[in-house]
Amino acid sequence: MSTRTLISPATLGRTRGKVVYWSVFSLVTVVFTLVFVGPLYWMAVNGLKSTDEFTRIPPTLVPHGVHTDNYTHAWKVMDLARLLRNTLWYAFGALVFQLVLDVAAAYSLSKLRPLFGKAILAMMLATLMIPAAVLVVPQYLTVLDVPVFRRNLLNTPWAIWLPSVTNAFNIFLLKRFFDSIPRELLDAAAIDGASPLRTLRSVVLPISRPILGVVSIFAVVGVWKDFLWPMLTLPDPSKQTLNVGIYSLAQGVPENWLTAALAMACLPTLLIFLVFQRNIMSGLTAGGLKG
Amino acid sequence: MRRTRLRPVRPPRRTPAAALLCAAALTALAACGTSSSGNGGDDGSAKGGSSDPAAPLDPKAKVTLTIDCMPPAAKAAELKEWNEDVATFNKAYPNVRIVGRSTPGQCEEPARFTAMLKAKSQPDVFYTYFTDLQQVLDNDGAADISAYVNQKSVPALADIDPGVLGVLKKDGKLYGVPTSNYRMGLLINRKLFQRAGLDPDRPPTTWAEVRADAKAIAALGNGVYGYGDYSAENTGGWHYTAALYGLGGDVVSADGTKAAFRTDLGRQVVQNLHDMRWTDASMSKTQLLKWGDLQKQITADKIGMFLAAPDDIAYMVQQLGAEYENFGMGPIPGGKATLGGGNGYMIKKGSSPDKIKAAIAWLNLKTLSPGKGQFDWSRSKADGLPVGVPQPNFFLGATKTADDKARADHATMPVVNFKAYMDNPVPGKAEPPKAQEIYKVLDNVMSGVLTNKDADVDKLLATAESQVDQVLANR
Amino acid sequence: MTKPAGPVSGPLRRQLTAHGFLIGAVLCFAFFSWYPMAREFVLAFQKTKDGRTTWAGWSNLSYVFHDPAFWQAWRNTLLFTGLALVLGFAVPFLVAVLLNEFRHGQGYLRLLVYLPVMLPPVASVLLFKYFYDPGYGLFNRILELVHLPAQQWLQSTDTAMISVVIAATWMNMGGATLIYLAALQGIPGELYEAAELDGAGLLRKIWHVTIPQMRLILSLMFLMQIIATMQVFTEPFLLTNGAGPEGSTTTVVYLIYQYAFNFNNYGGAAALGLCLLVLLAGFSAVYVRLSRDSAD
Repeated sequence: MSTRTLISPATLGRTRGKVVYWSVFSLVTVVFTLVFVGPLYWMAVNGLKSTDEFTRIPPTLVPHGVHTDNYTHAWKVMDLARLLRNTLWYAFGALVFQLVLDVAAAYSLSKLRPLFGKAILAMMLATLMIPAAVLVVPQYLTVLDVPVFRRNLLNTPWAIWLPSVTNAFNIFLLKRFFDSIPRELLDAAAIDGASPLRTLRSVVLPISRPILGVVSIFAVVGVWKDFLWPMLTLPDPSKQTLNVGIYSLAQGVPENWLTAALAMACLPTLLIFLVFQRNIMSGLTAGGLKG
Repeated sequence: MRRTRLRPVRPPRRTPAAALLCAAALTALAACGTSSSGNGGDDGSAKGGSSDPAAPLDPKAKVTLTIDCMPPAAKAAELKEWNEDVATFNKAYPNVRIVGRSTPGQCEEPARFTAMLKAKSQPDVFYTYFTDLQQVLDNDGAADISAYVNQKSVPALADIDPGVLGVLKKDGKLYGVPTSNYRMGLLINRKLFQRAGLDPDRPPTTWAEVRADAKAIAALGNGVYGYGDYSAENTGGWHYTAALYGLGGDVVSADGTKAAFRTDLGRQVVQNLHDMRWTDASMSKTQLLKWGDLQKQITADKIGMFLAAPDDIAYMVQQLGAEYENFGMGPIPGGKATLGGGNGYMIKKGSSPDKIKAAIAWLNLKTLSPGKGQFDWSRSKADGLPVGVPQPNFFLGATKTADDKARADHATMPVVNFKAYMDNPVPGKAEPPKAQEIYKVLDNVMSGVLTNKDADVDKLLATAESQVDQVLANR
Repeated sequence: MTKPAGPVSGPLRRQLTAHGFLIGAVLCFAFFSWYPMAREFVLAFQKTKDGRTTWAGWSNLSYVFHDPAFWQAWRNTLLFTGLALVLGFAVPFLVAVLLNEFRHGQGYLRLLVYLPVMLPPVASVLLFKYFYDPGYGLFNRILELVHLPAQQWLQSTDTAMISVVIAATWMNMGGATLIYLAALQGIPGELYEAAELDGAGLLRKIWHVTIPQMRLILSLMFLMQIIATMQVFTEPFLLTNGAGPEGSTTTVVYLIYQYAFNFNNYGGAAALGLCLLVLLAGFSAVYVRLSRDSAD
């Protein structure tokens, strides 16, 4: 990490620089905390209010009456554990499929010079310009009846996993990174008699860890954030993702229960995030995406 | 990995002639696509039983029936009754296996339903709204059951309202049987009526009275409003239609080719909403509501009235924890006609005759027999379920008299609160053609007037009129 | 793993290996991307009635063109894209530049910015729905405390879309911010020193050093953002129940959803998708050129 940034250390060293720096820093810290943690506080607290207090004008900052049973009710009707388990399962599968298939494809396109490689890459990248949502109807019909295999993937994890592989952005990132690996490194491995697969495993992947981290995060976040697609392809309530589950719930429970449910839905993800934040953050920031 | 369907369905390659042949063969003989029957070929349809549609189900026939809208575990009492009914049914037909699928919330959600039809992944017996018929037929989804539904298989048939059965028919063929039907009225919060010094036994019957009462209720303050209405997800247009029907207006011309709501009556509905929202402030600042939102608000004692079907009350009590005593119903303001509709079950096209017979036998027990299944009011009462809601309401004649009496005898709620609704029956009127598309357009009228103080009522209606004309002109 | 050289000749074997690595991803693309794309064209010219599917010629396209909601949805989608670029593109960049200057607490602040990305989006959106409530909502309360007039937020044609964009930015800015931060940290410090020797101030340093150095990642993100915002669905669908006041938050994708799943008009939905597809073909050309530039 380079230490020298936009503002020179000399400027920061001066008294005036220090005052400005610290005031900006504290202001930003306070504002960011309010903006990004405030809503979480609101959620946790409003989940404790009575229906009446929930809609009171002006809203209360600290609940007057504490109704923990909102949380128990919400827990019971939502079956959060199952929703979370489903979502993690879909995300994990998507991650595995993308890591295996997309890495292999990017490696091949970058280093193995397949015939028509350029055309294939161009066709893959072309899909980047087609928002997934545009294809939602034909893609949905395809999932209902996959050509050649004649399978209906509705209500199965495959409906999430297989389409997730068509992540041209990840392939693009991976290929660009592989492109930057010096050819001599691979040639040396080839001279030692290593097969492409072995070269990939023992030479390319170890030095690609930063980009693999980035790609993994994109893969997981992609599934985590998706709403329309799982809503359509996983209609069975027992197979739903967290997002779709909350959405279904939102239609039929009082606001204070729903807020309690939202708080509970956010909690496990926050915990996962806080535990793994070092990995997630370093994965995203350690480089690999240099302009 | 679970496969819901193995048979590939590729509509574009299917020739019309083949489809026709298939349909013809289906009604006359055995099923043409036995392989399409849902979950595997364990129904032994080819061997067991008679293929004469009018003959009753052979008790020896081995059939597996999948059915949706089974009560979810959260609705323990209904689930218990369901299981009891299955046991009763199996005494008569031990070889029929009933496999229920439960859905939380509403049994049908339009997007999910459309997807299901498209995938042909509907269970053998599937839940539909009355208005879904055309869509189901477009997707080749339901079997013609005309020959299977007769005096023998459904003893109460003669006393079922022909108007209700009629909406499940197309070109004289019957495609479903009703489970429930509704006629919209005005739902009121009795507690708020009392607090505002109004008489909860006399719900307003004209829009002028609604407005006056709403104003009185809104005067209670503290976030309480007098009247609520929808304006999103096509439910706004649905309620606009209901209100207009009440005044004697219509949304679509009699021949179904032109919009018919840009009239004085149509304007009156909108203007009245505008006045309640902006002049009286007797409607909430929070609009863009859809089905489910007002139910939550009235349960929380935040609004005094809205247009609703009677079974909303059961929904609010069971799902949202409200009290029956809190609600009353009056007829739709205006009282000229009221939007009616309902739901029922259809049977998947391609089902074997035995499957269809088993399905009819089950539906007869569960939903069409006075004193049994859903009409077993004494059991419902014992199980703590609501009795007394004026819905379903599709029987006529002696059956109706007997059923009404049983309902009153076992009522678990003050039925007297629905007296105004019951004593002033308003003729039912079906939804317009292409209802959803028209409702989408009319949503804009509703959201326009409810979110914009300076909304130009006639301009809103003029825009909607040209759009509805467009919708009707196409296809 | 090394196979002895078999009868298959060297170049052919190399090709087989190369395509062996490719095949999995290519099949997925073929089934779930390329085939549906082709199918979109077919569907757009078909209609299904009473269980029969027939060719419909241009009638689906003419149907959607004559649907006034079509043009409104386009206006809304472009408005959303424009607003989302102003907020969703500029804000993360500025935040990244700012955070990159901090010598303390950067980890904490990065964590904060990324936090909403980790929340289930439906939960975040519903949260904002409460904040926006013109009655008991938090935002109007805050405005009231600082003596500003209360807003209608989602409840008015004027402010509905910007409210949706604000919520979307809060939810999604974390990812872009972190990517910019990573890129910023790759800018050699000497460049800033050189600029300072030339007497450049803060803004000129950003303009002449930071932005050119991040040119590629910025243009990439810019295009990605356009693609992402063009398919906005979840936020308006949940915040305004889809259409919004007088249809002011109806987006193209919401309209596709309505056509396909509420009106059972798959042909119309496909025709709509086709329009979006054609429009984005223009962007596509730019994108391919860009990726080719960077590949060289």
